[in-house]
Amino acid sequence: MDVITNLFPWITNGPLIAVQVMSGLSVGMFLFLVSVGMSLIFGVTRIVNLAHGSFYMVSAYLMVTLVEWLPEGAAGFWIALVLAPIGVAILGGVIEVTLLRRIYHRDPMMQLILTFGLILIIGTLVLLVWGPDNKSVSRPEALAGAVRIFGQPFPSYYLLVLALAPVIAVGLWLIFYRTRWGMLVRAATVDREMLGALGVDVSLLYTEVFVFGSWLAGVGGALAAPTIAVALGMDADVLINAFVVVVIGGLGSFAGALISALLVGELQSFGILIFPAVSIVLLFAIMAIVLILRPWGLLGRPEE
Amino acid sequence: MTVETPAASIAIPRPLGAQRAALAWIVGLAVALALPFVVSTFFIVLLIEIAVIALFATAFNLLMGYGGMVSFGHAAYFALGAYAAALLAKKAGWPMLAALGAAPIVAAIGALVFGYFIVRLTHTYFAMLSLAFGQIVYTIIFKWTSLTGGDNGLLNVWPPEFLRSQTAYYYFTLVIVGLCFLALYAIVTSPFGYALKAIRENPRRARFIGVNVRRHQLYAFVLSGFFSGVAGGIFAFHNGSVFPDFAFFAKSFEPLVVVLLGGVQSFYGPVAGALGFKVLEWLISKWAPIYWPLFLGAIVIAVIIVLPQGFVGLLERRTWRTRPSIAK
Amino acid sequence: MANAAVDREVVLETRALKKHFGGVLAVRDVDLTIPRGDLRAIIGPNGAGKTTLFNLITGDIRHDSGTIHFCGEEIGALPPDQVCRRGLGRTFQITSVFRRLTVLENVQTAILAHHGRHYNLFARAARLYREVALALLARVGLDGQAPKPSGVLSHGDQRRLELAIALASEPRLLMLDEPTAGMAPRERHALMALVASIAADTGLTVLFTEHDMDVVFAVSRRITVMHQGAVIADGAPRDIRLDPEVQRIYLGYTKAE
Repeated sequence: MDVITNLFPWITNGPLIAVQVMSGLSVGMFLFLVSVGMSLIFGVTRIVNLAHGSFYMVSAYLMVTLVEWLPEGAAGFWIALVLAPIGVAILGGVIEVTLLRRIYHRDPMMQLILTFGLILIIGTLVLLVWGPDNKSVSRPEALAGAVRIFGQPFPSYYLLVLALAPVIAVGLWLIFYRTRWGMLVRAATVDREMLGALGVDVSLLYTEVFVFGSWLAGVGGALAAPTIAVALGMDADVLINAFVVVVIGGLGSFAGALISALLVGELQSFGILIFPAVSIVLLFAIMAIVLILRPWGLLGRPEE
Repeated sequence: MTVETPAASIAIPRPLGAQRAALAWIVGLAVALALPFVVSTFFIVLLIEIAVIALFATAFNLLMGYGGMVSFGHAAYFALGAYAAALLAKKAGWPMLAALGAAPIVAAIGALVFGYFIVRLTHTYFAMLSLAFGQIVYTIIFKWTSLTGGDNGLLNVWPPEFLRSQTAYYYFTLVIVGLCFLALYAIVTSPFGYALKAIRENPRRARFIGVNVRRHQLYAFVLSGFFSGVAGGIFAFHNGSVFPDFAFFAKSFEPLVVVLLGGVQSFYGPVAGALGFKVLEWLISKWAPIYWPLFLGAIVIAVIIVLPQGFVGLLERRTWRTRPSIAK
Repeated sequence: MANAAVDREVVLETRALKKHFGGVLAVRDVDLTIPRGDLRAIIGPNGAGKTTLFNLITGDIRHDSGTIHFCGEEIGALPPDQVCRRGLGRTFQITSVFRRLTVLENVQTAILAHHGRHYNLFARAARLYREVALALLARVGLDGQAPKPSGVLSHGDQRRLELAIALASEPRLLMLDEPTAGMAPRERHALMALVASIAADTGLTVLFTEHDMDVVFAVSRRITVMHQGAVIADGAPRDIRLDPEVQRIYLGYTKAE
């Protein structure tokens, strides 16, 4: 017992743990937003959008610019928060219509390679527009400080994220399970041809799904922007994390993405306490183990 | 994990007749040997780099074109080879040739470890996991500053005196790369290669002629990693330094582009692709280096959409027309 | 009963074989005994479990309970490549050849694998077993097509090629899953006559599923009828034809030619 308390002095520190758990949840939410978008797109179109991390990054950079342009203060921030994801959604729509449509019938490898190529293109464009320096987005006044939770400091901004989290999760659930569109989407993940045979415009649905998925990634990026350094290379970081999440949770599974995103968020949060480098290896170890035991993720479906 | 074929025809590369091939070899060899006398040092450097990436891409194509497995994190093995060579030479004081000999072994071990997990997966997860493992290598190199020098890389990794001149190193590279190509060609035309191609075409059928598909793919993965490591090692001493971004996922894109440009289905495709790739890189870098990744991405997208067989694929192949078959 | 499994005259024996998929019992309590030299047809409506039964035997899927013995050896736990090495050859319902390899390479690869030489990195595979492969191709009537990529062959020829590939492994039992699917009637008879003739020459035991009753009655020595996962009849063709249960299931089939 003593060995443990020596190695991990924080382990008996209840309040600290509580705060770490909460910040882990916040990080998990950002991941969830990106992952569920990627998972959704895969579930319907069977394409893994490797550029999803890039969408997240573009949204963060858009936040930087929007917050600069819009008037100071909370209103400007909120407006930016709404607009940035829309910008990304438009980007996603353009990509889907001009490029992805042409390759739906192609080998999955070619599709992957194509979206991989998008990473490079988008990355360079971001570099050209915003330059190589790190950027940041300042939080609105009201959320800039920290509150005390059980005596531990906790950034107020994360409270926003935690407050939004259930709203988002429930909202998504409502969309997928209580609207006609959501029903079509769920049907498409199960049997696309059937849906086409029933007269649904599947190609339009694909576009809608891709746009929505991109938008979700954009929301994640916009929300996360004030908490991290907005820099080139964030696309790769997010992408890999999203991979871990969707692989563990299973591509195409909403609940899977949620559970594993929170799990990964917590692991990262605690991993920093233990030993930063370890958290990455730990993540990958978990991913590898999950894949060996359940090759389609915890809640995923076997590939056709 | 099949790399696709156009529906209405099957294009397989038909090798040039034996005599013409021999002639092509002799001419090519003569040209390669004579070049340093005619071109400037700058071009010799370019040629060395073409050879390196041609080897890397051919090793990559062993998996992609012949095995039907597209690895998205192959830069990891190149980097493992480069770093192994650099570390052994600099920190352990090994002579260059010994370090170069160990490099592919280290890369192969990495391929064995990662490959063990990766080959159990199909298509998409294979791609994702290979990408993720590639990033693991990058992150480890980046963060293990005490060993690898982190972001600063390892500098002053030079070959011994007699190989210091670009011309000398060029010939050295030709020899090593040439030997590797011979080996890869042997592999591809060996029973191992036949079985690998069979797995690519139809894994289920391959199982039912008695092939242990996973094990075979793992061996192919290790072989591919091995030769990628050779390329990395050669490059380390050529470049004089190694950096973490040798393993970055964007670098993994390069063999992919080379192979796509040159044509997936042919053995020499990657060589032609390497030539085209490096020439393009040189041109774009002269004009506006910042655009290079964008250009790279755009080329690949264009090739995928417009020209599925790559350029060499166009020249070399003979197309067999099929009748539409009932069974796919 | 225990002796039957050891008896070398029995090539394949399954006992109480069961397989669930979710809530559906795809194969229930199937007892099957295939003696050496048999030409056994398994018939039944779609969904009767024939292909599932095949997949269970070949190790593509795992059975839930029961046993599978091949020449006296329990093979239920073996993966497909091991099952093949024990002497079981198979063709698939959807034509499975190595499309971009030439016809000759298809067979050569199968022979190489059969002899365990497929890990060899040094030999020139193109030169190995050429004569054997060509002979096999000649036996199925494809030697003229040797240099063509197998994907360009007509459907019927691809089926023949698949037969050659399966034969290349020198099996003791050859399992053909709907070998004549997609063929014209005359082609079907020709293919099955070929199979029968090869079986007669080499003492091969054959197990096949088939929908075309003419072919079944022309070629098979015994017929096993499956319905909804269970074996409902088993016997000589003439008896099966007259079996009321079978007739009931194949509504509208009743008449002889």
